Amino acid sequence: MVTLDVRPQLLDALSALRDRVAAVRYPLPLAGAPRARANRDELLAQLDDYLVPRLREPEAPLLAVVGGSTGAGKSTLVNSLVGRRVSEAGVLRPTTRTPVLVCHPGDHHWFSGMRVLPHLTRAWVPRREPGGEPFPDGGDGRRVLRIETADSLPPGLALLDAPDVDSLITENRVLAAELISAADIWVMVTTAARYADAVPWHLLRTAKQHRATLITVLDRVPHQVVSEVSRQYGALLAKAGLGEVPRFTVPELPESAWGGGLLPATAVAPLRSWLTHQATDPGARHQAMARTAHGVLDSLRARMPELAGAAAAQYAAALRLTAAVDTAYDREHTRVKRSLQSGAVLAGDALKRWRGYPLDCTAGELLDALVESLAALLLCAVIAADQCVDDAWRREPAAGAPELTRRDPVLESAEHRIGMAVRRWRRVLEEYAEEEARDLGGSTTPDPEALAALVATALLGGRRVRSAGERLAELIGAHGALRLRDRGGRLLTEYLGRALRVERERRLAPLEALDVTPEPQVELIAALSVLQKER
Amino acid sequence: MTAVTAVTDRTDHDGGEKGARARVHPDAPASRPDDPPPRSDGTASRGDAPAQTGADADADADADAGTETEAEVDAYAHADAEGRPRDGSQWDDGLIARRATDEEPAQQATQTAQTGQAEQAGQTAQAAQAAQGDLAKSGPTGTQIVFPVAYDVPLRSRLDEFRELVGVSRARLDSGTLAEAGRVLDEAAARRRLSGQHTVVALAGATGSGKSTLFNALAGAPLSDTGLRRPTTATPIVCSWSDGAGSLIDRLGVPGRLRRRPLEGVEGESALRGLVLVDLPDHDSAAVQHREQVDRILALVDAVIWVVDPEKYADAVLHERYLRPLAGHAEVMFVVLNQVDRLPGEAAHQVLDDLRRLLDEDGIAVGEYGEPGATVLALSALTGDGVGELREALGRFVAEQGAPARRVAADLDAAAWRLRSAYATGERSGLGEEARDDFAARLADAVGASAAGEAAERAWLRNANRACGTPWLRLWRWLQSRREPSTGRLILPVPAEEEATARQRVEQAVRTLSERAVAGLPDPWAQAVREAALHGSQGLPEALDGLAARATGPQGRPPRPGWWPVAVLAQACMTLLQVLGGLWLVAQIAGVLPPNLGVPALLMAMGIVGGPVVEWGSRLAARGPARRYGLEAEHRLREAAAGCGRTRVLEPVAAELLRYQEVREQYGRVLGMTTVVR
Repeated sequence: MVTLDVRPQLLDALSALRDRVAAVRYPLPLAGAPRARANRDELLAQLDDYLVPRLREPEAPLLAVVGGSTGAGKSTLVNSLVGRRVSEAGVLRPTTRTPVLVCHPGDHHWFSGMRVLPHLTRAWVPRREPGGEPFPDGGDGRRVLRIETADSLPPGLALLDAPDVDSLITENRVLAAELISAADIWVMVTTAARYADAVPWHLLRTAKQHRATLITVLDRVPHQVVSEVSRQYGALLAKAGLGEVPRFTVPELPESAWGGGLLPATAVAPLRSWLTHQATDPGARHQAMARTAHGVLDSLRARMPELAGAAAAQYAAALRLTAAVDTAYDREHTRVKRSLQSGAVLAGDALKRWRGYPLDCTAGELLDALVESLAALLLCAVIAADQCVDDAWRREPAAGAPELTRRDPVLESAEHRIGMAVRRWRRVLEEYAEEEARDLGGSTTPDPEALAALVATALLGGRRVRSAGERLAELIGAHGALRLRDRGGRLLTEYLGRALRVERERRLAPLEALDVTPEPQVELIAALSVLQKER
Repeated sequence: MTAVTAVTDRTDHDGGEKGARARVHPDAPASRPDDPPPRSDGTASRGDAPAQTGADADADADADAGTETEAEVDAYAHADAEGRPRDGSQWDDGLIARRATDEEPAQQATQTAQTGQAEQAGQTAQAAQAAQGDLAKSGPTGTQIVFPVAYDVPLRSRLDEFRELVGVSRARLDSGTLAEAGRVLDEAAARRRLSGQHTVVALAGATGSGKSTLFNALAGAPLSDTGLRRPTTATPIVCSWSDGAGSLIDRLGVPGRLRRRPLEGVEGESALRGLVLVDLPDHDSAAVQHREQVDRILALVDAVIWVVDPEKYADAVLHERYLRPLAGHAEVMFVVLNQVDRLPGEAAHQVLDDLRRLLDEDGIAVGEYGEPGATVLALSALTGDGVGELREALGRFVAEQGAPARRVAADLDAAAWRLRSAYATGERSGLGEEARDDFAARLADAVGASAAGEAAERAWLRNANRACGTPWLRLWRWLQSRREPSTGRLILPVPAEEEATARQRVEQAVRTLSERAVAGLPDPWAQAVREAALHGSQGLPEALDGLAARATGPQGRPPRPGWWPVAVLAQACMTLLQVLGGLWLVAQIAGVLPPNLGVPALLMAMGIVGGPVVEWGSRLAARGPARRYGLEAEHRLREAAAGCGRTRVLEPVAAELLRYQEVREQYGRVLGMTTVVR
């Protein structure tokens, strides 16, 4: 005998777990991410719609959700159980687009609030006159749950007519799954033509997996073949390990067949009395409830690690992406340093200027050319790194996230930023040169710009231009030249590192904005273990 | 049994000439590899023995398969994993449904293994039986001439184009992408060799929709089992309305014992002449192998009749898994709403309209008012209501004999369209003039053309000034250089620099160029262009180094223009005047000459003023030529760099682009479009 004793600690642990589940996100499009997201939503819905409210208020009415394939006659069945048309039935598929909940008028308060199914807007139709305008529609894209009351239902039982689980309309499918997750009793409806379909069997297997209280209804069975079809269906169920599931058979009746009418009370009497028994007999009621609730609690043991595993996969993917960026930029940084040492900046225009200096070229022009060349070197490094990152990311499915693929026009802005950085370096270098020239004092102060140009050449030209250093030493003395070169060199390293760091951070910014951390995994597992301890 | 297995391999498409020959005589399936003539009596008698054992095996295997069939409710999920993963994930997203897939994997595995075996045995046996059946049949009808399918000229040329396209693309696209295209081509070729007088039509639908009942109603005889057990039909059954379709049915892999003939003398039998009707298993039951069979045969038939019923006509499986992907095949498609007898009065029309609406949403053109498209009918196979209409429509359809070609055309369209992302991106591609100019400009920057030009201009100007300056200035400069001998002031002897070209700028130029070139190119081709650019850029900086050295190196001193001597002469005259005036003055002061201060002073003043004036004038005059000289030097370097870049990078890239352009045009022709696909 399963019992449903609920301690407040368990509820606390459960709501903590619920919050953790609600907080976890799967932003990177990994192979398992859509599934993990769906699982997360499903689990959250089940916690919100079913488990937490059920454990909080065990005295609330039992909710029996009628689910099944399109055209299985779910609405007709609900109407017949209630004894009047509460849910639209018809020949066009899919018929039910707005789920309908029917309960005893005395139980109405349990469902009018947001206790269960808080994501659905309530639409309560007080009491329609027969022949009046039928069934208002949800319209405007909000998801609506219509609540009907009927005296014919016993108190303590509510029926929910769900949309089809294999609907052509995806939202219907999702909604149906959500509704079924909220049920105390799963009522699976299938028909003589459908009982071998694959989709309802998924549902049955899921019910078995969750150990939910399950009953199946074989609807629309032509009179002549009732026994045969019923026997075969029973055999299939038994084979699937669902042999003990209560089975009800409803024959296909001409007057009720395609929409419109109600089945005669005798046709649904066994089902009705079974449901009534569940609702009214305390023992049966308790068992039905506890079985489903414990089933969900047990299923957490498998589902939470799955979610945690997906979260860990997300984090691992984010780490891989970050590592790709770091590797690329580190490599480019080393390459830039090596180029600087070999004097690659002093090439092309800058080299021509240097050869012409000072006869055919001024110090300012030489400095301009050097700075431009340095900017080109940096830009080249940044773009090469970006391309390297692109190549690496192309192999990563996680890099397909829209936040990561949508990029600003990088080139221009990178060019701009690098240009700024290099010009700033030049300005500071010129200041250093001025200081040096001032300190020298004396009558023949050398031109600070020439000093700056020479020291820049010495720094950027690497081993290729010893003469620059010599000339510098001639102008301001060996000591001053050494000092100026040292300061300039430190400055260069600093500005270079900073420029590349800024670019790397810009590249990583969208990834960091996704905020993929290792915490969710740990927290999910921790919440689960707390819950296990409290049970 | 080895011979029999070899025969089963025949269903694989080898496409080669040998395969073609084997297919022309498909009724010799038991021939061993060592039998050169594919068909002979000896072969038949020898092939008999294995075929017989195969038939025995068939009985067992079939029994096994039967029990497995109804037992197999669990393995549905398994098929999703391996069967058609893309389509499967499309529709099978039910949250509840999804969860159940990892249940009892071990059990599933064993079950699938069992069914796998059973199926294999069954297939082998089937092939053997097919052999047998054909041998029996081809005896009397062997002499009948089979007219192969005639594809019309546009279709033929499109098929050829497609084959060529696939061949050309093999180097660029991976084989997985091209697999479907290859299959379509093989099937088109295979179908073409077979009878064109017959039209193979499959009856497909959900379990319990009444496919078999309709099959029997069309045939006029209870050929296929109908029943309440779901799923009923486990293996396809074929009914042929006229002779000569044996090879066609072989292609479907339906064994002889499942081949039927319609009831003799039924009205309309002659109207359906040429029809080969296939009753398929369901596509939506929990029995996985049913769906596999359906998928296999649907790829081979000429037309499909989709049988739906009022209960299941809006099933997601049907629409998302089958109808939407086959939207292009509307012309070879019938959609039949069966079981209308279960609907009261008006409801049948409503449901039919709703079905039409759903088909429209699936993208299937519904053939109404004589427009091409799918034929949609309502009927009841049970009461015979509307079956006559279908029979009539089918009769017309079969008599046209156009279905095979239309089917192949639709397959071709679909396959080509699916390859779209590999051939077209919808964007404009190609290298503009602007990109080429930009590339040249960047290379010129890398070699420092503008600075070189400026340096040359200044050097020229300097030389001119020196040449045309006053001699006193020269003297002073000379003394100056004497005083401080070696330090920097003089032109340094230029060493042969190893890396005169800015490597980073070359790299950047190539990268920018290839990025511009690949804009609007599908990935595989973009990759090819990038590789071409990268390959070309290797050694480009070194080449530019050498080029810069050659362009600036040898011609040493700049040329001297013709007016320089004149300027020098004028300058000399001025100096002479100064000297003359000075001497004259000195002579007067010394009293050698009569004192006349005016003229010598004037002469000397003229010389003193005239010297700088001449210098200034010649400097003005030199500015133009110097500029021209500098520009010329720059231009020379620029051209050389651009030429080097063109031959090494631009041309390979352009060639690669051209190759893509050709492929894209061919792709456009495959799609049957006159305009170029973007």
